[in-house]
Amino acid sequence: MHHKKLGLAAALALTLAAPITLAEEAVVNIYNWSDYIDPAILEKFETQTGIKINYDVYDSNEVLEAKLMSGSTGYDVVMPTGSFLERQALAGVYAEIDRSQLQNIGNLDAEMASKVALHDAGNKHNVPYTWGTIGLGYNVDMVKARLGDMPVNSWDLVFDPAIAAKLSDCGVSVLDSPAEVMSVALNYLGLDPNSEKKSDLKKATKLISASRESFTKFSSSQYISDLANGELCVSMGYNGDVLQSQSRAIEAGQGINISYIIPKEGSLVWFDLMAIPADAPHKEAAHKFIDFILQPENAAGVSNYAFYAVPNNKVEPYLLEEVKNDPSIYPTDDIKEKLFTQKAHSVKFDRLLTRAWTNIKTARQ
Amino acid sequence: MSFSEQIVPSSMSTEQLPLWKQEGAEPFLRIENVTKNFGDFKAVDNISLDIYKKELFCLLGGSGSGKSTLLRMLAGFETPTSGRILIDGVDMAGIQPWERPVNMMFQSYALFPHLSVADNVAFGLKREGVAKAEIKQRVEEMLGMVQLGHLGKRKPHQLSGGQRQRVALARALIKRPKLLLLDEPLGALDKKLREETQFELINIQEELGVTFVVVTHDQEEAMTLATRIGVMNQGIIVQTDEPHDVYEYPNSKFVADFIGSVNMFEGKVIQDEPDSVQIDSKEAGTTLFVNHGISCAPDQIVNVAIRPEKIRITKKEPEKGVNCIQGIIEEIAYMGSLSVFRVRLASGKEVRVTQPNFTRSMGDRYTWNDAVFLHWDEDSSVVLTS
Amino acid sequence: MSMSLGSAVMDRMAAKLQKYNFVKKVNWGRAVVAGIPAFWLGLFFFVPFLVVFKISLTEAAIAIPPYSELLDWDLEEAYISIKINLGNYLFLFEDDFYLDAYLSSVKIAVLSTFFTLLVAFPIAYAIAKSDGSTRVLLLALVILPFWTSFLLRVYAWMEFLKKNGIVNEFLLTIGIIDEPLIMLQTDFAVYIGIVYTYLPFMVLPLYSALEKMDGTLLEAAQDLGSKPTQSFFLVTLPLAMPGVIAGCVLVFIPAVGEFVIPALLGGADTLMIGRVLWDEFFLNRDWPMASAVAIVMLVVLVLPIMLIRNSQGKGEAV
Repeated sequence: MHHKKLGLAAALALTLAAPITLAEEAVVNIYNWSDYIDPAILEKFETQTGIKINYDVYDSNEVLEAKLMSGSTGYDVVMPTGSFLERQALAGVYAEIDRSQLQNIGNLDAEMASKVALHDAGNKHNVPYTWGTIGLGYNVDMVKARLGDMPVNSWDLVFDPAIAAKLSDCGVSVLDSPAEVMSVALNYLGLDPNSEKKSDLKKATKLISASRESFTKFSSSQYISDLANGELCVSMGYNGDVLQSQSRAIEAGQGINISYIIPKEGSLVWFDLMAIPADAPHKEAAHKFIDFILQPENAAGVSNYAFYAVPNNKVEPYLLEEVKNDPSIYPTDDIKEKLFTQKAHSVKFDRLLTRAWTNIKTARQ
Repeated sequence: MSFSEQIVPSSMSTEQLPLWKQEGAEPFLRIENVTKNFGDFKAVDNISLDIYKKELFCLLGGSGSGKSTLLRMLAGFETPTSGRILIDGVDMAGIQPWERPVNMMFQSYALFPHLSVADNVAFGLKREGVAKAEIKQRVEEMLGMVQLGHLGKRKPHQLSGGQRQRVALARALIKRPKLLLLDEPLGALDKKLREETQFELINIQEELGVTFVVVTHDQEEAMTLATRIGVMNQGIIVQTDEPHDVYEYPNSKFVADFIGSVNMFEGKVIQDEPDSVQIDSKEAGTTLFVNHGISCAPDQIVNVAIRPEKIRITKKEPEKGVNCIQGIIEEIAYMGSLSVFRVRLASGKEVRVTQPNFTRSMGDRYTWNDAVFLHWDEDSSVVLTS
Repeated sequence: MSMSLGSAVMDRMAAKLQKYNFVKKVNWGRAVVAGIPAFWLGLFFFVPFLVVFKISLTEAAIAIPPYSELLDWDLEEAYISIKINLGNYLFLFEDDFYLDAYLSSVKIAVLSTFFTLLVAFPIAYAIAKSDGSTRVLLLALVILPFWTSFLLRVYAWMEFLKKNGIVNEFLLTIGIIDEPLIMLQTDFAVYIGIVYTYLPFMVLPLYSALEKMDGTLLEAAQDLGSKPTQSFFLVTLPLAMPGVIAGCVLVFIPAVGEFVIPALLGGADTLMIGRVLWDEFFLNRDWPMASAVAIVMLVVLVLPIMLIRNSQGKGEAV
């Protein structure tokens, strides 16, 4: 009797201790930026692997971060921007990437990967998805009408108060993204774009405030349609977004001609990264998806669709001509040299930065 | 030709006569051929009426008779479709309610719920721009008159129905209007309170000398209050007379029926003299004698109206056999001060008779199925030709 | 003697007991009726409030969730420690930026509440005065916009107000203006957005107050010598006051904390507490500070209004 009881207890203990060998459910939950992948690529993944994709989109890093920081999102793959991943990884949001599960990791562009490593040492928590620049989108004819033959190749268009004032009547927009705009401004002033010095912040704030009157708008996405329908003539923006605006303008056929430049003073390069949350329920499937994107023909499906560069050595043959040869998507080497990354800031500096930004926007002293 | 003229003793001098009986007296309120249509519906149909100073005139009628519409036209809330209204000789056409020398006491009282009793009463004076001290004094006086001096600070919802009615009256009177319109002034009060208030209203009216026009559906109220009554039906005034005359000498079946209860016998005029008529009535089963003349065609079908209290009931056949009919008691109702009998005639006609209970045992004298004689004097009944 | 005395006492006690039971029974029913809404209020208002309040007493940290623990305990060592950080609140009062933001929000909310009242009153009045079927139709029209997404409706306003939008095109075509008006990204657009969005919240309480009003009161006022405009201010408005107050509270409270409307329709210089809260939460990643901003807004702006309203409600009931 007594023994029998013991035996039962032992059996129970064994059962509990036994590793759960249940196979992972064939599902992967992806949380990506809106309009950031060719839907055909997703279908292809599903047919090839038999893994079902639950696809969900966001339109700001802040929204993604708020979800991740609350924990238990249920997502398997997310696409944060470098400086965001940098901080989130510190909080323990992400699982380490198991490179042994990625057969195509060799396709990664080493030069770009090394820049990403500034955010994430050894790229332990990410595989780069796309990269892009911040620059100026502009309405060629409107700008020409106001500036004449002056070459459009400098941040002067927004940071020189005299020039910005000439453009103000046709609409000037600045990204509503304090950290990015501030580091572009610091770089323009010849300062370290990642400086956390109060004096540097003051100088950059002064620079932006000087042209504040001429800025008609602070926008991080609205400028896409505003440029396209002629409500803006100059907008600070992300390269892919400006190109999207360009193609919208062409579609509309109103004769609006939009162009994108990376100013000669240099600009910010950013990376959107694939990462796996620490509590992702389908890590294996997540790795399969990342590996799938690393295949050059699939990477091209991202680049051709979203007009952003992908850091993939073997992608070129699969790129559309107009994408491959567009310097606003794949910049020339001399411009590439002038690109810098923007690192995550300390909590203390973020507060100063936000305040400075609010003061600039509300013209509050 | 009104019956009332016949009963005024000729010895009475003109000075003592009320204004409406004086030849050529100026009416205070003159309603001239006033008609009011709502779409196809004629609410008021070509009414002409003169009301004199210090009168307490009652417009009596059922719902939909047009009495309230007429009152609202006097106040200025409705505009006549045609016709004129003159108050103290002034044509009211185009004069807005807030400019008229008229105030109204509403059926619902329409007291402002957000204002105190005193502020309600003061409302009209404030609009006139009367000095504050004077307002205060006049409000106090007026509240004193309606015996609410102590309740000035209360809100309307803290008052009883009777108190509210008096606030409404005080509010309507404080501007010393030439003409006060009262819409069912006692309608919302219970019976006992109504009786007390009736007399109060008359006292106030006499004290202030204001002309009152009262709208009511309650004939008792009209009887007690009025100097004259205008009985309305379907947009027209059927009869205008003093209360006594309206009751005793109704000019139509409608008035006779509407005011008090009445027995009517249909019959044919068989003899028509200047001061008496004989009517052969199958319903009554006899020839009825009436001692006043009528103007009618020979053989005309008329109604003889006799009030229940004017019929005497006896077991023995009365000696004087005029206006005497026979029947059987079907029902007796003992009402305390009087008893009501329902008597069935041979013709099948039912007659209502009331008898005061002169003695305690009065009720015991008669019982069901008793054969009785009903009879009345020749001057107790009225012949109605319409 | 003693027997009868005893039974008298017993009787009285029984009566008392019965009365007690009776009262208790009634209270049970009432407790359930009053308890359900109280429970919901507790669950969906008070508990979240406590959570936010708790976060406001912590410090921002790089962790999930991104703030420090209020309670710390170790069962083996048998200690519990509570660490309360009042720094967020102190900072709120030290830095006049927050005061500016609150004041600016209050200003925008007060003005837009007032404009909403001006627009809503005639609408509510017309509905209250209309008859049967028209009234049902008009009420339905007031509520109808709720069936579409709030965001969509705000975006629709952007189409109306933008530089080459419908309003400007129209005014240019009929020749009233020569150059397009700048309406979008201005305070004007914010007021339009708030007035438009919260109009039903003002119309409905006003309607229910006006609908109850006895029309003869206006006749009485006229009869006593006041012209229609005077009657409006002396009778209609005072009687509609409960509706005016309810409507103003319903508009003012969400307008103070409004974020979406100023973000989409307002200019970059529209400073509102909702925006500050967003910045604290998303840009500074300072959840505790964001919570403190929210709690102070609730305590300073919303609680007094609710208290005033409550006391007013009691006054009405008497």
